[in-house]
Amino acid sequence: MSGNVIETHDLTLYYGRHRGVQNVDLSVARGEVFGFLGPNGAGKTTTQRVLLDIIRATSGTASVFGLDSRKDGPAIRSRIGYLPGDLALPAQMTGRRFLSLMSSLESRPVDAAFRDELCERLELDPDRKIPEYSRGNRQKVGIVAAFMSRPDLVILDEPTTGLDPLIQQRVMELVREVRADGRTVFFSSHVLHEVQSVCDRVGIIREGTLVRTESVEALTRRQFTRLRLMFRTPPPSDAFARSGVAEISRDRNTVLLEVHSDLEAVLRRALEYGIDDIATEPVTLEEVFLAFYGTRGNAGTNERAHGGTDA
Amino acid sequence: MRNLVLYEIGSRWKAIVGWSFGLIGFGALYISVFPEVEQQMVGLADLAIYEAMGIDLDSFAAYVGSVVLLFIPLLLGIYAISNATQTLAGEEEDGTLELLMARPLRRAEIMLAKAIGLAVALLATLTVAGAGNAAVLAAIKRGYETSITPGQLFTALLSGWPIVMAIAMIGLFLGAFVPKRRIASMTATFVFVAGYFIENISAMVPSLEFLKPASLFTYYDSSATALTEGAAAGDVLVLGAVAIVALILALLSFANRNVTVGEWPWRRRGGQL
Repeated sequence: MSGNVIETHDLTLYYGRHRGVQNVDLSVARGEVFGFLGPNGAGKTTTQRVLLDIIRATSGTASVFGLDSRKDGPAIRSRIGYLPGDLALPAQMTGRRFLSLMSSLESRPVDAAFRDELCERLELDPDRKIPEYSRGNRQKVGIVAAFMSRPDLVILDEPTTGLDPLIQQRVMELVREVRADGRTVFFSSHVLHEVQSVCDRVGIIREGTLVRTESVEALTRRQFTRLRLMFRTPPPSDAFARSGVAEISRDRNTVLLEVHSDLEAVLRRALEYGIDDIATEPVTLEEVFLAFYGTRGNAGTNERAHGGTDA
Repeated sequence: MRNLVLYEIGSRWKAIVGWSFGLIGFGALYISVFPEVEQQMVGLADLAIYEAMGIDLDSFAAYVGSVVLLFIPLLLGIYAISNATQTLAGEEEDGTLELLMARPLRRAEIMLAKAIGLAVALLATLTVAGAGNAAVLAAIKRGYETSITPGQLFTALLSGWPIVMAIAMIGLFLGAFVPKRRIASMTATFVFVAGYFIENISAMVPSLEFLKPASLFTYYDSSATALTEGAAAGDVLVLGAVAIVALILALLSFANRNVTVGEWPWRRRGGQL
């Protein structure tokens, strides 16, 4: 058994003729927070459900804790806390009753004091009936249920949906605590800044295919560089017209570039026109993401515009 | 699994109370009016419409059998279908099944817990409804002479459990087999209600007699003899077998499918229980 908590090989799933995921090779190491990024319908939820054996792969394999997700479902799930993206709770009970029910179905005892502490931290009143809860409070119930058994692996699908910013931060704290404890988090989201703030590595999935898996830092750094160049005199309008470079804006002597490849050549060209100052600007994961998906969510739009990526 | 079984039973207590008292009210209404309208009833006994509905008005015992013993399981069967399809297909559609599926339970355990919860709820409903109807009969016997005892009525009503279990398990199977609750519910209701009409109409139309074995009601006696002699062991065995086979099919269907995605059987991969 490798040190990976999650491993998939060639994981493919079709819903009849419709694509779920295709040839997904994924590995998540013990103790890391793995961000799983992609737009709606990309295959994030499908992948998680395969790991939990809620749905079954058409081909390929998926293992969790070294166990086959198909054959060893109960053993795997006994070590997982799961928050579904489309969280639905039974209507006829209170939050506390629901959490007690979920606790009673765990194979290991749930520390009631810890469960109550989670409710307090998330500012959840567990004694209200579920239909009385707002969307955000229902989400809190789901989050408490996912964390309360101190599982070895927490799978979170869009965990901060409907939460106010303060509670979102507390959820991020919980995620960091799991990591600090040496446990693992599989964090599915399309809220990029939270993935950036909490994840060690990120996998980007689009149209069912895992296009890249990388550390958040490396993905952010390697994807492209944004340069702000200040010249003594305005350079010609076609000065940086080349493959892998996009001129974002121009304000008299100042030019803003996104450089996707051959940074050295761009800098040499800038020197030719007499440069006064140069600055790099941080690139957010959101911008990296949009480079993959295009500004309208169309996969690959920017790849084609910039001459392709190494995905 | 024990906790899930307890939850499945507990989540039905309101339905048990509601249906029990509803069925007591239904029985009380029909049993109590007979002494008042006995002569009119006898005059209506030969109408074909009653024969087609399986209603025998020849005597108080026949009336109680054909109204209370027939319609209480029929009504409870409709509840059983509704509940059986809601408990799996309905929970899948409303999304609550996903959280349950993420617990360390085998699919067979989930299905069995739901089947047990349903079985206990139906038995409890029939027990309370039977006791209530027996009490109504005991009250009526003070002013109306009949050989039927409250104990016989109670026992005869409990003998409706196998037929409601059979249709409940068929509903559970259909809920696991087809992707939508509404389709499962409509199909099970059709099987149940059509069976009721087949059983009664085939007695009047000999050419339809070949359909009788397919009706669940063929194996359920709601005549006056059911009150005095109880259910035939052979009939109980047939209904029990139908329930068990339907439950096995439900287990197999649930084990071999993708959950939460509403999937038709021909789109499913093979699997193992």
